Amino acid sequence: MSQIIKQEKKRSFVKAPTAALLSLILPGLGQILARRVQRGLLMLGALVSIAGLLIWRITVLGRLADGFWPTLVKSLDRAPFFVGFGLLATAGIWLWVVIDAAKQTNPNKQFGNSIFALILIVFFTIGWQISEIDLVKLTSDANEAWVPLSKILWPWEAAVTHETDTVEAGAEVLVDSEGAAPPKPEQTEGEPYLWVTPRKGSLSKLDEDNEVIPGTKITVYGENFEPNTRTQIWWSDSIGNEFRPRYQGEYVSVMTDEEGSFEKQMIMPYRLIPPSAKGQQIHEVMARQVSEVGPPLPSQPLVLTIELIIETIFMGMMATLFGILFSVPVSFLAARNLMSTSWITLTIYYITRTILNIVRAIEPLIWALIAVVWVGLGPFAGIVALTIHSIAALGKLYSEAIEGINPGPIEAIQATGANKIQTIMYAVVPQMIPPFVSFTIYRWDINVRMSTVIGMVGGGGIGFLLVQYIRLLEYKSAGIAVWFIALTVSILDYVSAEIRQRFV
Amino acid sequence: MLEVKNLTKIYPDGTLALKDVSFSVEDGEFLVVIGLSGSGKSTLLRCINRLIDPTEGQILMDGQDITAAESNELRLIRRKIGMIFQHFNLVDRSSVLTNVLSGKLGYISPWASLLHKFPAGAKREAMAALEKVGITDQAHKRADELSGGQRQRVGIARALMQNPSMMLADEPVASLDPVLAHTILGYLEELNHESHISVICSLHYLDLVQRYATKVIGLRDGEVVYRGDRKDIRKMTDEQFKEIYGEEAVRVNAGEFERGEE
Repeated sequence: MSQIIKQEKKRSFVKAPTAALLSLILPGLGQILARRVQRGLLMLGALVSIAGLLIWRITVLGRLADGFWPTLVKSLDRAPFFVGFGLLATAGIWLWVVIDAAKQTNPNKQFGNSIFALILIVFFTIGWQISEIDLVKLTSDANEAWVPLSKILWPWEAAVTHETDTVEAGAEVLVDSEGAAPPKPEQTEGEPYLWVTPRKGSLSKLDEDNEVIPGTKITVYGENFEPNTRTQIWWSDSIGNEFRPRYQGEYVSVMTDEEGSFEKQMIMPYRLIPPSAKGQQIHEVMARQVSEVGPPLPSQPLVLTIELIIETIFMGMMATLFGILFSVPVSFLAARNLMSTSWITLTIYYITRTILNIVRAIEPLIWALIAVVWVGLGPFAGIVALTIHSIAALGKLYSEAIEGINPGPIEAIQATGANKIQTIMYAVVPQMIPPFVSFTIYRWDINVRMSTVIGMVGGGGIGFLLVQYIRLLEYKSAGIAVWFIALTVSILDYVSAEIRQRFV
Repeated sequence: MLEVKNLTKIYPDGTLALKDVSFSVEDGEFLVVIGLSGSGKSTLLRCINRLIDPTEGQILMDGQDITAAESNELRLIRRKIGMIFQHFNLVDRSSVLTNVLSGKLGYISPWASLLHKFPAGAKREAMAALEKVGITDQAHKRADELSGGQRQRVGIARALMQNPSMMLADEPVASLDPVLAHTILGYLEELNHESHISVICSLHYLDLVQRYATKVIGLRDGEVVYRGDRKDIRKMTDEQFKEIYGEEAVRVNAGEFERGEE
């Protein structure tokens, strides 16, 4: 057979040197004139795209350099292997194409295809560079991923909280203004007591170079606090805004002694006082002891996660329900065996199919973006998005189930003298139940899984919470959400598999 | 008595499936229709209970014109004609009992049947029908758990529920092995002899035709090319049989016939 094909090969229009010369001027032209048109076009296309991509990447790498050579040198400096190999390989391929053109003029010559292997290698090299693959980063920075990852893997310390009991006392100070210092606070028997000296001074400031000019050094004395307990120092400005002063990056705090007393020196913190502020600036220094009391309670992240995971599951359920309601009638319009009776119904079939395919091709996340604009943020937007996608997906699956129905039992039941309704009840419905249940459960499964992420674009459910925690770097809270998502999805997976097995 | 007069069927795509077919079946006869696949056997059988509407011609059952029957009348005619199929056509997911009970659908009110409610008598009848074909113990299994032979027996039991005066059998043993073929055809023969139910059956193998038929018609390209009664069939030679099937089939089927002769 191959012998015959060889003899049928067409003779070249040009001689070998001409073909080579032509391919040197325009790669592939020699092959085309040697009547290997596809081969020539393929080589031309490959070389043009490689050259184009290479030029683009070199311009990107050599950005801001002026002129041709500086750009090339800069790009070579930044990615020596990529640019060097790319240029050499391109030149090599060009040369190879020239030699190939000369060879192809011989009609008895076998096709050599190793040139295409080289072309593929060059394409993958360019792909590696474009997608910024960096194996060094992947390995050297792995430990940075471990911090959030470990918190996500074991987030349960954040799942419990305790009620807190606060022991606190404060003392007023006058800052950056004229007048008498506020008096030393009065002491009440049995209550924690705090006083400060001096009770007048200036806050830390920033100079023009953003260097800190330290404020007045004060000493804080405390009595009657809980003994041997870490005590936080707080600061409250003249309008009552509280903050924790820092010293060298650490919050200022102190340990009380056995009698519940302490003495702590500190520098008045930095606080911007607006120029419009008038009159005396009375600030307050406070000492606080926060202790956990009572039994462990579920923390806010845990409670929120549980609330939202319930919302998520129900979002999935509602979307599936609406999906079924709308997709059942749609599926009849999309079933070929039902719609092939006339050209009108066939047209409806094709239109329905096309719409279903388009709607299904758009991801629920994108539908959610549209739904958020449509019905506003919240779970309803997510339900709308998932419903739209479910209608398309279920409509297609159901219609295929209808198409796949076995006509045998239908004629058998008809032959017994049953009427239309009875035939549907006894021959069609039993055949429809297994795929119907199976697809519906499967869809519910997908919808719940999708509603865990649909919140990321504002569609309600747990996704919103998860993204928020990650953005706030609260990895432990995010971990709780991740755990619940994983748990819900795997339980659902198992349940849906079980139910499907029962019905099919 | 069934009379088929000048029956012609042309499908919408232009295929001529039956061409001017006429024959009659006396009560209690066992008519076998032979012919190649695509010769029109299935179409002919399905025209008789109007699963397929014939294009021209008449079918008279005890003088009543089946071809002219409207929906309700047609249902009453259909329930007097039982039918079994090559691929059994059971509802796989339903139980054997439900499959058999569905043979009674023509007799009960549609609304009651929607709720899967059958009169108690129907259930007894169904069990009796299953007993007749020897598979009472399978009644509560799902239909798809049964073997081929058992499934065809369920098909017969379903048809029996109709109290039919005629049975149509569309290649009832083509998907079964030879031993089972005799069992199934044996049930049909028993019905034929004991209950005087006329049987119209399409078959492929000469030995089965000779064993069971009281009357034979041969179809080729939708036309009747052979008619014979009991005596003619016994004398029928392989050559005649092959003639109906066309020369192409000769070599392929030769081995089968030889075994059949033994």
